[in-house]
Amino acid sequence: MSAWISSHVQACLRAFKRMLLAPMATLISTLVIGIAIMLPLGLYSLFSNITAAASRLNTEPNVNVYLQVLAKDEDAREIEKRLQAMTNVANVKFISRETALTEMKRVASVADLLNGLDNNPLPHAFTLRPRATDTATLEQMRKDIAALPKIDAVVMDFEWAKKLKRFATFAERLVMLLGAVLALAVVFVTGNTIRLQILTQKDEIEVSRLIGATKRFVRRPFLYFGVLQGALAGGVAVLAILALTWWAGKEVQALTISYGSDFQLQYATPEQIIGIIAIGAFLGWLGAYLSVSMYLRNSRTA
Amino acid sequence: MITFSNTVKRYSNGFEALKGVTLTIEKGEMVAITGHSGAGKSTLLKLAAGIEAASKGSVLVNNQNLAQLKETGLGVLRRNLGLVFQDHKLLFDRNAFENVALPLSITGFPRADVGKRVRAALDKVGLLDREKANPITLSGGEQQRLCIARAIVNRPAILIADEPTGHLDQEYGARILDLFKSFNQVGVTVLLSTHDELNLTRLNCRRIHLNLGKVAA
Repeated sequence: MSAWISSHVQACLRAFKRMLLAPMATLISTLVIGIAIMLPLGLYSLFSNITAAASRLNTEPNVNVYLQVLAKDEDAREIEKRLQAMTNVANVKFISRETALTEMKRVASVADLLNGLDNNPLPHAFTLRPRATDTATLEQMRKDIAALPKIDAVVMDFEWAKKLKRFATFAERLVMLLGAVLALAVVFVTGNTIRLQILTQKDEIEVSRLIGATKRFVRRPFLYFGVLQGALAGGVAVLAILALTWWAGKEVQALTISYGSDFQLQYATPEQIIGIIAIGAFLGWLGAYLSVSMYLRNSRTA
Repeated sequence: MITFSNTVKRYSNGFEALKGVTLTIEKGEMVAITGHSGAGKSTLLKLAAGIEAASKGSVLVNNQNLAQLKETGLGVLRRNLGLVFQDHKLLFDRNAFENVALPLSITGFPRADVGKRVRAALDKVGLLDREKANPITLSGGEQQRLCIARAIVNRPAILIADEPTGHLDQEYGARILDLFKSFNQVGVTVLLSTHDELNLTRLNCRRIHLNLGKVAA
């Protein structure tokens, strides 16, 4: 047992020595792997922040229909009937110009302005809830409503929020795909680093195998190298993401304050940080394992 | 200790190096395999060390059938063999001491005692004062002796040497063979191949002559 532990300690030390032996190469490959890990995670955190922001927005489809200011109460009742008769309209809510005015007067900044006016400048309006949500139907509905008499404007302002939400979902999938591709890249970069090391130690491996080293023994220091490098690269990725969040966070805060929102960028949690380092270590291990196994399978020493 | 029964070795290119060899090497014996190039000497030694596998028949070492050993078992077996290669297979990226220490790192020998063991092995082959030298600076005979030091550092029960005198002149070859004789005298089973007839006569050990993959009478 103690021999087993000591062989692991030896392998780990050898891996460490190999890293220090070529500090420049180690630095460069660690940075490359670090960036490869950082890219999908950085984008993921960006998009999850966007999704978090988007979920605060009302994406329930509402259509606002504004009548012309000249439209009378009778016109409004007539239009209400015709709106209710439409197949795609689930729900019609009438907002009279008087209600609208009272509502608006509650907003202090415009109250004085409105009080100074002789007559109500606001039109009658309706808020509709459509049955369908697909763009084609909504567009047809918008045209139908606009064709009614005394209609000033039909506004569907939920569309952009919905698009944003859909974009966030799409982006999340894109990030996952990118993550998978870059994880593969990390495995290959590590594998290639290990392959180059193997080539410089070909003779040692051959002799060791001849005098009784098992494949596991030969593989061990390379696996430690892969794990160490992967974990280091994970650390680089964490630092980069934290720095980016901090830098972008200041800008976002300035922006959201001006919009009267308290939205903030989320920093990586300690669990996520450990997770990123663990992912790096695992990918490094995998790359090293595949690389050494491939070499040992092709070497002729049985 | 080593038993071949009807052992056949056919290489993937179709060449049959051994055509049914049966022989037994007893514990503590010293055996020289002789024969022309291509007679199957190297193949026989490779089969005994488990470096190549028999195509037909069996090879037993320490009563273990090598064909039934898995990768790890084969590794354990080889750690208990001392292998001397014709081309030495020394590592030129490290000094003589580190070359000899390599088998000890594979067996997980206690690090505190490595120095003592390595120097004892170097002393036996007369290279104690060259421990810091890079093998590339050593002469052919010194390289061969360094290879022997690496083979004996684990104190194996069996020494297998393929043409240990192959690249050496008569006199130097005699000294190497004497070295093997001295290991044999302390109980090590020695199996070596050579075509150095002159020295063998002097060595006075059991000889097995191979001819075209068969044991000659």
